[in-house]
Amino acid sequence: MMGRASAGALATTSGSTIRPRARAGGIIREVGRFAIRQPLGATGAVIVLVLIATALLAPALAPHGPRDAAFTPYQPPSAGFPLGTDNLGRDVLSRVMWGARLSLYVGLVSVVFGITLGALWGVVTGYVGGVADSASQRVVDSLMALPPIILALSLMAALGQSVNNVILALTLLLAPTAARTMRSLALVLREAEYVEAARAIGCRGWRVIARHVVPNTLATYIVLVTVNISYAIVVEASLSFLGLGAPPDEPSWGAMLTAGTQAIEAAPWTFLFPGLAISLTVFGLNLLGDAIRDLTDPRLRGGLG
Amino acid sequence: MRRSSLLSLGMVLLFAMAVGILGARAQEKPRPGGVLAWFDYGDPGRLDVHAESPLVVQQAAAGIWRGIIQWDPDDPTKIAPDLAEKWTVSPDGKTYTFQLRKRVKWHDGQPFSSADVKASFDRLLSPDFKSPKCGASLKPIVADVEAVDASTVQFKLRFATPVFLPSLASAWCRVAARHVLEKYGDLNRPEAQIGTGPFRFKRYERGNLIEWEKNKDYFVPGLPYLDGVKQYILVGGPTQLAAAKAGKVLLWDTWPPMLKTQADELQRARGGAVEIYQWPLNTINLVYLNTTRAPFNNPDIRRAVHLAVDRQEIVQKALEGAGVPCAILDPKLVGDFALPLEEVQQLPGCRQPKDADLAEARKLVEKHYPNGIDVEIAFRAVGNYADRSQLVAAQLRKIGIRGTLRSYESAAGYAAYGKGDITMIATQDRAMDTTDPSNVFHIVYTTEAGSNYARWSDPKIDELADKALKESNRDRRKQLYWELQRHILTSPTGAIAVGWVEGWYFRDKRLMNYKPAPTAYDANTFMKVWLKEERAQ
Repeated sequence: MMGRASAGALATTSGSTIRPRARAGGIIREVGRFAIRQPLGATGAVIVLVLIATALLAPALAPHGPRDAAFTPYQPPSAGFPLGTDNLGRDVLSRVMWGARLSLYVGLVSVVFGITLGALWGVVTGYVGGVADSASQRVVDSLMALPPIILALSLMAALGQSVNNVILALTLLLAPTAARTMRSLALVLREAEYVEAARAIGCRGWRVIARHVVPNTLATYIVLVTVNISYAIVVEASLSFLGLGAPPDEPSWGAMLTAGTQAIEAAPWTFLFPGLAISLTVFGLNLLGDAIRDLTDPRLRGGLG
Repeated sequence: MRRSSLLSLGMVLLFAMAVGILGARAQEKPRPGGVLAWFDYGDPGRLDVHAESPLVVQQAAAGIWRGIIQWDPDDPTKIAPDLAEKWTVSPDGKTYTFQLRKRVKWHDGQPFSSADVKASFDRLLSPDFKSPKCGASLKPIVADVEAVDASTVQFKLRFATPVFLPSLASAWCRVAARHVLEKYGDLNRPEAQIGTGPFRFKRYERGNLIEWEKNKDYFVPGLPYLDGVKQYILVGGPTQLAAAKAGKVLLWDTWPPMLKTQADELQRARGGAVEIYQWPLNTINLVYLNTTRAPFNNPDIRRAVHLAVDRQEIVQKALEGAGVPCAILDPKLVGDFALPLEEVQQLPGCRQPKDADLAEARKLVEKHYPNGIDVEIAFRAVGNYADRSQLVAAQLRKIGIRGTLRSYESAAGYAAYGKGDITMIATQDRAMDTTDPSNVFHIVYTTEAGSNYARWSDPKIDELADKALKESNRDRRKQLYWELQRHILTSPTGAIAVGWVEGWYFRDKRLMNYKPAPTAYDANTFMKVWLKEERAQ
């Protein structure tokens, strides 16, 4: 309730005719209030913003190409190579930066596809109910019965190594969880009075779903997207670590970890920095995801009210 | 005397070093018992030693099988009797008659006889049977195999050649039981691993473990000393190194060799408990271009790749300097049969710096593909092939060839390569079966070569290789091999020699009487190896 009210207030403010400077001031004030009420969430947001900036600006920021094996292997961190060079003489900093691009791309695209697919699946079958719902839930059960990493590994082994196949595998991994969550929400919403009212005045099923059910699941959808990006990034890194993710010359943090294990003692920087990048990204995304969940869940404190 | 000089001084020195370093322990009295644990670099998938070529297949059952003759376990540079007690050669050098041992039994208790030898070599030499190792070596040489009586077998050659005995002694020319071949049709399954060797095949857990147990009826009394051998299937350098550092494996004398960084790490972890040594693996590293598929059916594009591949960089970075770049033959292994490295390294593609070669390569690519080329580059996900492949892909990008790397599981990769179902292989090591200079040509470069994954055919290579095989005069033979190497190095062949692979290995000091061999296949039967103390299993 608090979340929806807050969203409404922001919409009213942004929809008014106040001067841009005052609006900017309002946004800054809101950000400030968010930072005070959700310091961890704000930290997460900063980390995620840095990640996004790094990903977007990697071609301009990275001192060298991610595949340029033009230097002496295993150079320790120095002024020329702040994070050292790897076993093939590539600049680790450049690869970590380009790795952010790959991780974010895989994380965002797979989560948007996976959660959207799962959400539509869960909402429609939950609303329709009956045999369609039961049958769909058995499919969800069978997919969720498999350990996620085993399912992902099997899919990658079958599909072959490529970034697009990682996204496809992650989509199939994420969709059942989203379908289960959204179905439970749809079961509640279909009994809501305004939904019954819509049906009573003769609205067709698809219109009820589109106009009355889906909009009321958006907050949950956003939370699902946010909290699953870090999960997708970790799974991508795990697949690449096991040699079944992105092709080996793609600058993937997981693949960099694997390469780093060849010389953990002699060149720990080859292992350490991609590992740190993964940890920091997951940490930031989880903090931000938790904060967004708090903001949108009326039962939890900490909303922007 | 002529033959003895075939091995180079370098090779002799290496063996002398090995004997010096590793041989002192042989003076101690062998102690029976114990199980040797080591590893296979991948899952063999199939086990037919006659029909396959990966080291993992040969290694999986090396102690199970015996040949007619062998490389001497006490001195792996010499040929010694095995299932044959002795042999004679006809005056024209074209007929070899082998007297077989009597009272030898197969692991299932059936008696061994000349019929088994004939059945095995009829299979290996059949034109319809693809045998990339033993068959590929012997088919050009052997005309017929005849069982004279139960314990005598005769090989009739097409021509006299010094290459016959070394080829026959290869670990791939093993004798299988006729009744087993008749029963199963091939030697792929674990239950078909019924040999005459010092160990019996105990179990094969896919992707995990291969285990042998002592054959108490082995035809050499008192051998083997070990109760058994366990080969863990360990994929990837970090896993193999972790097992070595933890003392879970007692030996690393197999492909892939350790890199210097790994050897140093192991030395720090195990200290004086292990002996680390450097050793040539008698293995050549190649880049293959499928000459039947676009874009590599175009000789200009093949030439561009020849010019662009920086062999020195691959050896320096992926092998940490342990290798001989560019060579078709390694002087350390075959002496002066190898074209002098000074000449090799002045040739286009090998010379440094590469600026002129890269400029020419770019022009060749632009001439046919102004927008560059996209190709799928295959490699098997074993050893550090992923690293080597990335280097090759990076080098090709400089001339406008954009590669997408595709990894294959080991056995699946070999299957795809064998079927020609690839456009390019970024990196593939091929181990030699013998130390004879002819070997690499019949494994890689001739039309019928066992590992001709490029599907390359050049009548001049076939003709020169055949002439050299038949040539008994050493100097003329050397000239033929020099001409062959020059021709290959300056032609747009489908197989680019990156270089000869070397590396580091270790032996746990509890493992006694282990002698490295001149090929990757000849020191893994463990028939005379013993363990100094009981190892808790």
